[in-house]
Order: sequence, then C-alpha cells, then structure tokens
Amino acid sequence: MIISLLVFLPLLGFSLTAFYHFSCSSRKKEPTVAVGGFLATGAMVASFCVSIVAWFKLRSAGFGDASIEESLFSWMKVGGLQVDFGFRFDRLSAVFTLVITGVGSLIHLYSIGYMENDGSARYFAYLNLFCFMMLNLVLGSSLPQVFLGWEGVGLASYLLIGFWSQEMGNVAAAQKAFIMNRIGDLGLLFAMFLGFKFAGTLDLAQLSAFAFRPDVATIFGLLIFLACTGKSAQIPLFTWLPDAMAGPTPVSALIHAATMVTSGIYLLGRLNPVIAQSPVVMSVIGAIGAATALMAAITACFQTDIKKVLAYSTISQLGFMFVACGVGAAETGVFHVMTHAFFKALLFLGAGSVIHALSGTQDIFKMGGLRRVLPWTFWTFTVGWAAILGLPPFSGFFSKDGILHETLVASHGNPVLFGILAFSAFLTAFYMTRLYVLVFTGDSRVSEEAKKHIHESPLVMVIPLVVLSIASLVGGWFGAPVRFEETHAAPAHGVSEAVIMVVSVGLALAGAYIAYRKYSSNVRMELSKDPFRIDEFYLSFFGNGVKKASSMVGRFLEDGLFQKMLQASGVAVDLGGNLFKTVQTGSAQGYLLMMVLALIGLVCGLIFGVPGYGNF
Amino acid sequence: MEISDSLSFLLTLPLFAMVLSLFVPKGVQRVYSIFASLLFLGLTIYEASGILFASSSEVAGRLAVEHQLVWLPQLGARLALRLDSVSVWFVVLNALTAVIAFSTKGIWYRKNPKLFTAMGFFLIFGLNAAFLSLDLVVFYLAYESVFIPMIFMVGVWGEKQKATAVFRFFLMSFLGSILMLVSIFYLLSKQFKTGIGYSSYLPDLIPTAGGLQGTEALLVFFGFFLAFAIKVPLVPFHAWLKDVYTLAPFPATIWMSAILSKLGVFGMIRFVGPLFPGVMLSVQGVLLTLAAVSVVYAALLAYRSNDPKSLLAYSSISHLGFVMLGVFTLKQSGGASAILLSVGHALVSGILFFLLSKIAERKDGIDLTNPQGLASKYPILFTALFVAVLASVSLPGTLNFAGEFLVLLNAYPVSALCTAIAGMGAVLGAAYMLKFFQQMGFGAPSPESDSAVAKSEDLGGYELILVFVLLITVIFCGFQTAIFLKGN
Amino acid sequence: MMTLEPWMMLVVSMVIFGIGLFGLLIRKNLLVMLMCVELMLNGVNLSFVAFSKIHHSLDGHLAVLFVMTVAAAESAVGLGLVIALFRTLRTVDSDQIQILRD
Repeated sequence: MIISLLVFLPLLGFSLTAFYHFSCSSRKKEPTVAVGGFLATGAMVASFCVSIVAWFKLRSAGFGDASIEESLFSWMKVGGLQVDFGFRFDRLSAVFTLVITGVGSLIHLYSIGYMENDGSARYFAYLNLFCFMMLNLVLGSSLPQVFLGWEGVGLASYLLIGFWSQEMGNVAAAQKAFIMNRIGDLGLLFAMFLGFKFAGTLDLAQLSAFAFRPDVATIFGLLIFLACTGKSAQIPLFTWLPDAMAGPTPVSALIHAATMVTSGIYLLGRLNPVIAQSPVVMSVIGAIGAATALMAAITACFQTDIKKVLAYSTISQLGFMFVACGVGAAETGVFHVMTHAFFKALLFLGAGSVIHALSGTQDIFKMGGLRRVLPWTFWTFTVGWAAILGLPPFSGFFSKDGILHETLVASHGNPVLFGILAFSAFLTAFYMTRLYVLVFTGDSRVSEEAKKHIHESPLVMVIPLVVLSIASLVGGWFGAPVRFEETHAAPAHGVSEAVIMVVSVGLALAGAYIAYRKYSSNVRMELSKDPFRIDEFYLSFFGNGVKKASSMVGRFLEDGLFQKMLQASGVAVDLGGNLFKTVQTGSAQGYLLMMVLALIGLVCGLIFGVPGYGNF
Repeated sequence: MEISDSLSFLLTLPLFAMVLSLFVPKGVQRVYSIFASLLFLGLTIYEASGILFASSSEVAGRLAVEHQLVWLPQLGARLALRLDSVSVWFVVLNALTAVIAFSTKGIWYRKNPKLFTAMGFFLIFGLNAAFLSLDLVVFYLAYESVFIPMIFMVGVWGEKQKATAVFRFFLMSFLGSILMLVSIFYLLSKQFKTGIGYSSYLPDLIPTAGGLQGTEALLVFFGFFLAFAIKVPLVPFHAWLKDVYTLAPFPATIWMSAILSKLGVFGMIRFVGPLFPGVMLSVQGVLLTLAAVSVVYAALLAYRSNDPKSLLAYSSISHLGFVMLGVFTLKQSGGASAILLSVGHALVSGILFFLLSKIAERKDGIDLTNPQGLASKYPILFTALFVAVLASVSLPGTLNFAGEFLVLLNAYPVSALCTAIAGMGAVLGAAYMLKFFQQMGFGAPSPESDSAVAKSEDLGGYELILVFVLLITVIFCGFQTAIFLKGN
Repeated sequence: MMTLEPWMMLVVSMVIFGIGLFGLLIRKNLLVMLMCVELMLNGVNLSFVAFSKIHHSLDGHLAVLFVMTVAAAESAVGLGLVIALFRTLRTVDSDQIQILRD
C-alpha cells in the first residue's frame, strides 16, 4: 500500500488544511499561513519520503519492466468496461513522482515565506490538492484515472491562478486556463471512447500493448496529442499559459513550469507504443513541438514581464520535449522534463524572490543591479540561467544536447527539426541573458517606493533556492532516467555527438553574448508585445464567436421561434375561447332554449334517423 | 419476485403526512415537513435497501417487490406497484428531493404554509405513484396528479407574471399528456379487439404494442414520446421551462429540476422502451440528434443568461440531454448509465438551487448579475456552491462525471457524431458554470452587498450538514458506481 | 257518453307541459317562470297517471307522489332564491340577471 500512501498523503494534507481553514473562519479567526503551510508542507515532505522508499523498492525489483501495482476498488464496471481505481508505479511514473513530491515539497516550503502577507491556509490546501491530483495523473493505472488527475490538476490550477479573486483579471485568466484545458481534455475523452471501442479496455498497460489498426492508431494518437497540447501549452492551445502567470509565483513554478505542464510528455511517454505505431502522429508531434519552441522563443524576446518571459520560455522548452517525443526519443524528452523541472522551478522561484523583494514589481526594465542586494537569489539564479542555456556541466546541457542529437539520429528525426531547435536554443540564450542582465547587473532602475522595502528573502525561501540549484547542477549527470523499448536506428547522418555538443554550446554563448552587448549598458525601455497575436485572434474568433452564436441562437431560435410558438399557442386558445364565448350570453332562458332545441333535435334524430348513421 | 404489502406504505405515508400537516401549527410547519420528509427518506431507503445494495443485477431482480390490487375491472386497471432496480432510484430521489425542497426558507413558509406543506406531500405521493405503477392508466393518473401541486406552488408563491408561466406550463405539459392518454386508449382498444379484454398492465400491453405496424406504431409511439419529451424537456419541446423555473418559488424549482424532469426520463425507460423497441430503433438517429442538440443548444442559451436561476434552468436541459443520449443508445449499459447520471443530476441541481436560494435569502435585493465578491463573505456557502458547480461540470470524481463519461462511452459506438456534438456541450458547460459562479463569488465586493452581508451569517447548522452530506454522497457515489451499475 | 280515454289525458298533459315550457322560455318574470316550472311538473304528473292507467300498474301513482313532494320542496327553495336575488339585485327580471356570464 506504499503507493496509495504516497498519493493519499497530500489528500490528507488537503483535508487537514481545509478543515483548519474552515474551523478558523467559522470562529471568525484569520487562518494563518504558518499553520496551513506547516500542515501542507509536512504532508508533502512525508509523501516525498515515501516516494523515495518506493523508488528503492522498485530498484530492488530491478527497474526495467518492473512495477509496483496496487488496486484499491472497482470504479466503473458496465457493458464490458472494467475500470479499477489503482496505481501503477514503474520507472516512468517514478521519475515524475519524485519530481512532483520533491520539487513540490520545496515549493510548499518556499510558499510559507512568499505568501506570508497575502495568503491564507486556503492556498496551501489548493497546493496539496494539486499534488494529489498530479500524483493520480502519473500513477493512475487506467486512462479514466489519468483523466481524473488531468482534470483535477486543471481545477487546482484554476483555483490557484484565480487565488486573488478580488481582481476580475485574475479570475478571467483562471477561467481561460480551465476552458482551454477542457477543450484539450475533450481529446483525451474521445481517445478513451475510441480506445475502448477498439481495444475494449482502458487499462493503460493493456491499451499501450494493443495493436490498433493503422488509421485508428492515427486518430487515437492525434486525440491524445490534442489533450497534450492543452495541458502542455502547445500550438494551438498555448495562450492560457502566459495569462496563468496571474497566480502567485510559487504556483507558476510548481504547476506552470515544473509539473502540470509536463503531463503531456508523461502521457505520450506512457502511450508511446501506440503513438509510435503511426508515423503521421509522430511527425505531427515533431512539427508542432518545433513550431511551438520557435514561436514561443521569439515571443519571449519581446516580453518585459519577468514571469511572462519565463512562461514563454516554458512553452518553448515544452516544445523541445515534444520534438523529442515526436522523433521517437521519448526518454530524452522525459529526461528534459526532469532537468527542466529543476532549473525552471529554480528560475521561477528566483523571480518570485525578486518580485517579493521589490514589493510586487514584475517589469524587468524597472529592476537592475539586484546582484548586490539579493546575493542568494543572484547566485542561485545564475545556476538556473546556466542550466537553461545548456552550458556544461549544468543539467540542462545534457538533456537539451540529447534532444538536439536525437533530432538527427532518431528514427523519425530530420535536419529541419534540428535547425529549428538549434535556432530556438540560440534565442533561448538571448532572451534569458537579456532577462538576467536586466535584472541583476547594471544600474538600478528600481522605483524609489520599492527601494525602501528591498530585502533579501527569508530563510524558508532561500533553502529551496539552494536545493534546487544543486539539483540543477547535478541533475543531468546520471543520464536519462527512463528507457523505452523502441530502439534507435543507427546514427543516420553520421554526425557525432561531439560536433552537436560544440554547436549547441556555441549557439548558446553567441546568443548570450549578443544579449549582453545589447542590454548591459544604455538600457532603453521596451514595451511588451506579442509578435504573433494569436491570443487576440482566438479572443475575437472563438471567444466572441461563442458569444455571438449564443446570442444568435437566443435571439432567433429561442426568443424568435420557440417562445413565439408558445405564445402563439396561447393566442390560439384565446381566439377559440372568444369564438365560443359569444354563445355564453348569461341569459338563463337562452340556455334553456338551446337545451330544448337540442332535445328536440335528438328526439327527431331518434325517430326519423340521421343521414349516414341510421336510427340511433 | 415477491408480493408485498409494504410497498403501499410508500403511497399512504405521504398522504398521511399531508393530512397531518393540516393540524400542525403554522409556526412549526418547516420543522414538521423537514422532519417528516427525513423520516420518509429513511423509511424509503429501508424499504429499498435490499435492491439498492444488492450485489448484482440478478440479485436485484430477484429482490424486486410487486404489489397488486384490482381497481377498475372495466378498464382492466389495477394498482400494480413495482419496486425494482429501475424505479428504486427514482423513488429514493423523490424522498431525497423532498428533504431538500422542504429545507428551503421563504415566503412559502410565511404565506399559507399549510397549503405548501400539504401540496409538497401530495407531490411526493403523486410522484411515487407514477414511479411505482406498472399500470398505464394508473400511471397516467399519477402523472397528471403531479400537476396539481406544481400549479399551486407556482401560482400561489411564484414571482410576478406567474400566471403566464403557469398557463404555458400547463398548456405544453397537458398537450403532451393528453396525447399520451389517447395513445394508451388506442392501445387498449387494439387489445380489446384481439379478444383478451382490457388490461392496462404493462406486460399485458407489450404484445399489443408490438403488433402495431408502420405509421400506426409511429403515431402511438409519438403520443408517449411527446409527453415525456416535454416533461424532460428535450429541445424543441422546452419552451415552457425557462419561465416556470425562474418564476417558481425555490422549492418548486428544486422539485421540477431534480425529480419532475426525471419523470420523463423514467417514462422513456419504463414504458416507451419496452413498448416500442422497434420504433425506437428505426428513429434512433433522430432521437440521438435531438438529445445531442439539446445539450449544445441549451448550453448556448445558458451561456447567454445573466440571471442565475435561468442559467441553471438551461443547464438543467443541457444535462438532461446527456441523460437522454444514454437512454437513446437503446443499450442496457446506456440505460444504466443514464440512470446513474439522472441521480447525479438530481442531487447536484437540487443542491445548486438550494444554495442559490440561500444566496437569494442573503442578497436582499442585490443584483446578482454583477461581480459581488460574495465568496469571501460566505466562505462556507460558496465552497459548497463551488463543489456543486464542479460536480455540475462533471469533474472526474463526481457522480456526474461517471454518468456523463459512461453515457458518452456507450453513445460513441452508436453515433460518433452525436457524441462529439454532446461533448462540445461539456466545454460550454464549463464556460457557463464558471461564469455563474464567478459572477456572484468573485470580484471586489460592492458597498450594497457589504451592507447586506453585515446582516447575515454564513451557512451553518442543519443546512450545512444537509449540503455537506449531499456533496459527500455525490463524490462517494462517483467512485462507488457499482451501486448503480450492478454489473450491467 | 264519451269515456275518458288515456290518450286524452296524454294530450292534456302534453298541452300543459307545452304551455309551461313556452311560458318558461318567453316570460321574463322569475316568479312567473317558477309557476311555469310547476305547470310542466304537473303536466308530467298527468302523463304518469295516464301511463299508470294504460299499464294497470300503481308505479305511476307512486312517482306522482314523489314528484309532488319534490315540487313542493322545489318551489320553496325556488321562491327563496328569487327573494334572495331580489334583495341583492333589486329585480326579478331574468334579462337583467346575467351574472352567470362573467
């Protein structure tokens, strides 16, 4: 029951924190961050410890295909469908579980410091709920259970993005995230229907071992991928992620960088055998991933909000991971998920520390020279910066280099993908260095108001930063944690890994150098802009489209047709009533006369017969 | 099958409670009706427990209880009551809905409360008679008798323009049910001609209905179908609903959305399905399309509504579209899923309207269509509301998810297109339900709402326990779906 | 000498009934209308007696007794109603008493 324990610990934390919150608010007491944070963080740390135990247990079983399976109860059983609620812990899940509980614990801890002023126990309850759902997602043994986690993390993300719900802007961002994810979720839902129709099961192990018809496999794969584009913010469903930065920064670090957005990679990795059956799906994934990586990297160069830069950077890095899945090297993608979780969480938390220090300022052109006042933040951020650039020996180097290499050598790889990714890597170096230089070096452009309160973050926030920077440094040294069965073709283009290594490091340094030259002195203010305007397009096309459709349907069909019909039926009854009302004179003698005449008529009919009927 | 007299308690007890309510002082009517309905709920569950918790459909079938009493020999009508794995859910829901509806507070407990309570219990009686009866004439009578309390409730305690609403409600429902009566009599006369005399007992009529051919069968089917389609309602037979739901007092709205609409679902499963399997199969495409269109059409209308009550009214149509989709798959598993979703919808819409009534009590004339920031003022009330909203958008883990998922799963092999259309309703559902919640819950509190809030307390006491238990039920059942499906 | 044949009684009863009915239809005074009703009842009574004689049975006589009792009651109630109507509406003209219409 070890896996169930590690999944349900966060749920326990959620329940306790929620109970604490409500028991306080019903006694008109303000629930404190300290107590809520202690309960929630405790639950997460406990869960992390259990995950480590489970990891060793799995290792003693010998990795490979070994897994720990636990089935709790039968969830749904009808018409040939049998869905059990249970968990399966294998190497792929294990990597994700460790990242979720590990990084999760650190971010819980960090939040105690970050949220001390405007948080409440509610916040920690949501974080715990998120972790519970996320663990369901990566450990669930069947697709419906993955779906439970899939929508559950969407819910937690909704709650946390809109955490400061007094601002309707935050609420709108949260709603957008939820609904765009729901569109993607529809893909997963229909993939389940399709899978059940053809394979007759929704168990993940059985489903991924099933040999689908080629066309079915293609549709199935595309539906799954649609779901992934929603959750992992890929083209076309990526526009919610930049808006999601409306939430508290630790949330952005945990949900919108380290864990939830990588669940698309998890799903592709999990269903890899089915996905790999269809070359069409593979090339679509590769193409979309590369396009997203490039587009997001370009957009990131034009952002001025520190969190938005990181958000677009996340989208871009996720694109890298999808390319890895698309070329047939999902394990490298998962490797990048892990390293990215470390360094992106680190970067976000560093950004959070900066924002915290500057009392909420997020514009990088209003920062500068923070190296001296925030030494801890600066040094840890430097590690994160080096890792995302892919400088050796930082973790990002190994995984990013691995992906670039795979685009050339893997079974579905091709040089175009390599070119796009290499250019995106160059841009990544550019915009990250731009951010880094603008925030930490040069002269201070901080407003006088913010300067007064400027301070290094407390210990609870620094400890996670340090731990994460160590992880970002060493995280890549042990190679990809997962191997899938699909074996590689031999290097197709004869490019040696060393050459690629040199190219990728060279590009990173070049990008960094250009940015350094441009931004290290004579900083001119820039305004944030979105060169692609896809968000605006969606808003005008779909957002207003639905609104328009709804009001059209309402005006023409509902009010114009159905309600009119109903009124018309009323009018018809009225008319009929008026017609017969004329007979009702109210004169008793009139009625009597009618009675007599009718009687006479009847008697006559009785005697003489009625034409067509004969005598009665 | 076991012949038992205990079933008739399900009918006599509400009548007894109705009579008793006339002797209860006005001041304690609410307490009395809550207490009596809780007691009745307990007895109902006790009576039904064998079937409810049976381990498999076979066991449930063996446990089904039947009770017969000849009533109108000239028509062959008899009081044939049957509690089996279909009707049991509706009977339990009926008792449960009564508890929710009686727990509201408002003008109905101030102005003429005796009439309200009496009508409420009469409604329970009529619904139970309809759900239990296996005899078409008796079913028809029970089906019609349900109008009486509804018309009283909307007419006496409704809001402005209630007369129009009542009239429309009556007009459309009556149109449907009178055609059903014609169909029933047509079937009876057909049966008489075959020389076995009159019997309106459902199993006796099935061969007669099976003997109908072509247009004749279609017309007789249509009589039944229309009655139930209006009751549910399916688009395009829904036009009466919005006015009635919005103008009716809260308990009546709860009753209508939670249980009266299920009368239509139940009728389709219990009567139309067995009587006209052939016709259903031949027009299945049309039926599925109607259901799928209902889902999307009502969702679009809900998205457009600013008034929370009419938004929920349309959302009710949308969700019932899913239920009907399940029924129209014409599969055992689809029907079972539809019943499961019915239960989920009844619980959740009951809770939603109940909580809305609690907000309305507190709002004191504030416009609910603008951001109010009420969530921070009433954290408990709005947390409960949020959980109910989540269940309503069928988030996994709730009963509604299991229902919607299984319905769509069963509908997909039958018609992928209709499933896809209905699936879009799920996205729209999220959009309008979040809008519904955010409008009232989030945003900066306005000064008027502040002053109103100062006067009132958060949800607490009995009401909190009630809502909590119901929500836990929704989540618990969402995982323990075996109770509903029983290996169908 | 002419004997009293039953058919003669029937003719008389028909005439009386006809007069009553005619009066009920054309007279406007409620009191007169009540009297017309009495006439019709007596016409029926006469036919009862006639048929009783034709069939040599006493049933008809019995019915007549009943009718007479009921007629007495009816005229008592009817007169009461007329008085009540007169008190409220200040008229016994049937043309002006049309409140049933509304």
